[in-house]
Amino acid sequence: VSASSIGRLVMLFLVRWSRYNPYYLEPEPRKELYNMPETELTTEQKEERELKAVRPIKATTNSTTSSVFNDPVLSKFVNMMMRDGEKILARGILTQTLESLKRKQVEKYHKAPQGKKAEIECNPYAIFHQALENCMPVIGLASIQKGGKFYQVPVPLTDNRRRFLAMKWMITECRDNKNRRTLMYEKLSQELLAAYSKEGNVIKRKHELHKMAESNRAYAHYRWW
Amino acid sequence: MWRACQSERHLGQYYTLPTSHLHTIFPHGLPARYQQQVKTFNEGCVMVRQPALELISYLKAADYSKPAVRYLLYGLKGSGKTMSLCHTIHYCSTQGWLVLHIPDAHLWVKNCKELLPSSYHTSRFDQPIEASNWLRNFRTTNERFLSKIKLRQRYTWTKRESTEKGSPLGELVDMGVSRVKSSSDVVGAVLKELRLQAAETEESEGFRLAVAIDGVNSLWGRTTIKKEDKSPVAPEELTLIHNLRKMIDNNWCGGAVIATLSQTGSLYSPSSAYLPKELLGEEGFDSMDPFIPVPVSNYSEKEFESCYLYYLDRHWLQHPHSENEGKKEIIFLSNRNPSVLERLCAFL
Repeated sequence: VSASSIGRLVMLFLVRWSRYNPYYLEPEPRKELYNMPETELTTEQKEERELKAVRPIKATTNSTTSSVFNDPVLSKFVNMMMRDGEKILARGILTQTLESLKRKQVEKYHKAPQGKKAEIECNPYAIFHQALENCMPVIGLASIQKGGKFYQVPVPLTDNRRRFLAMKWMITECRDNKNRRTLMYEKLSQELLAAYSKEGNVIKRKHELHKMAESNRAYAHYRWW
Repeated sequence: MWRACQSERHLGQYYTLPTSHLHTIFPHGLPARYQQQVKTFNEGCVMVRQPALELISYLKAADYSKPAVRYLLYGLKGSGKTMSLCHTIHYCSTQGWLVLHIPDAHLWVKNCKELLPSSYHTSRFDQPIEASNWLRNFRTTNERFLSKIKLRQRYTWTKRESTEKGSPLGELVDMGVSRVKSSSDVVGAVLKELRLQAAETEESEGFRLAVAIDGVNSLWGRTTIKKEDKSPVAPEELTLIHNLRKMIDNNWCGGAVIATLSQTGSLYSPSSAYLPKELLGEEGFDSMDPFIPVPVSNYSEKEFESCYLYYLDRHWLQHPHSENEGKKEIIFLSNRNPSVLERLCAFL
């Protein structure tokens, strides 16, 4: 592990896996930062701009956009659903999922009486994010070796790990435990709606993990970090 | 609910199709995505656009004692040709015309599960399933005319079955729906009767006939249907196509032929082709000639605004950013093409 060169933004990255020379800068896709006039820049940002004039910049991945509709959580979900590098197919499934979620909710909205309309959430992005949050486990289990045996020890999880587990459970559940003839977007939309209202198999799996962690509470002191 | 009084003032505005009309006039005519939209929004709204208004004004101004005028809607993919056709059909229905709507002529020249040799003419082939489906939908659309129109000729189907002269059209249609084997010939008989009787004058209980065909370029192209010895079937050898071609010839009076070109379902044509000469081919163009071409283009700025506001009103555009900055992106990505816009807004 090595630190990059001069003071300011110290980035730690693994020298072993990076193919770029350390003086390459990260690309900046957000449009707002380029539209800011001179006066609003802080000293740091002014120095960054001068640096960008002389230093080369790394190439971005294909999925980086400056679009307002870009969502990092959704991009991660698409990458996890992707198989054999077919991102177009995975993204198509995601868009169909969002569309089917929206269709179901908007249909319900238009058929509901006036009083109930405010409770129905029509935004597929809000439903997706809320459903994922409902599926994220709070505590996880780690396999720790002590005295020749391996114990399942309850352990706090980082945000990234929690998000990863929620998305992984969602995708595996839809792939394995559902009817083979239904299409993926249909299965995903049903499971997401269930997770939004805290029902369904993924929520069950999260609760089972919590129960296991609670039952193994005695081994919690085996954790040293 | 404006029907016959739509004018240039209403360009870009939406009007609602009553639910009863949706079930009777359009059992099979609307595009699939539009049907989904109707189901989601719980209502069917059509935008008043310039090509449809133009067509309706031509239909109002035409002289129906002269041979039938042929109109052809053409344009880029997804620019709204089928919807303009449906708008015009709705107008004709509300004016009391008899509407003969073939939702997609491409479905008759491909993926045929059953091909029977025709009993009437030895070298032709029948398509019983497609013909009986169409007759069923025709019956739903034109209920009120079925008892009024009487047949001029006696039709013999088999040794024991025949339909007498003077019996109502409804009997013929029912026969075609129940006796699936001879349904293609029934279709031919229905078309012939309507063609002969549309020329009656208004006073003696005549009616005006509107023939609406979507995907007219399939009538002169190639088919993917094969005979039992694997040789391809030409379109002329199918009874349904043969009878349709006779309808399109302008040798009958008292109505109009409104047709749409379609590259989407067509066979053996490049995807960049949208002009009449390219899609109809030599033979098709010569048969359709002379016709009135009506170009259908992408949304203008006003129409795009109207569509955008309609989606907002129906709670369809849900992404928080789609209000301001996202609008410019949507215009750029869709180029104001109606179908691309619809697919884009579906997941936003």
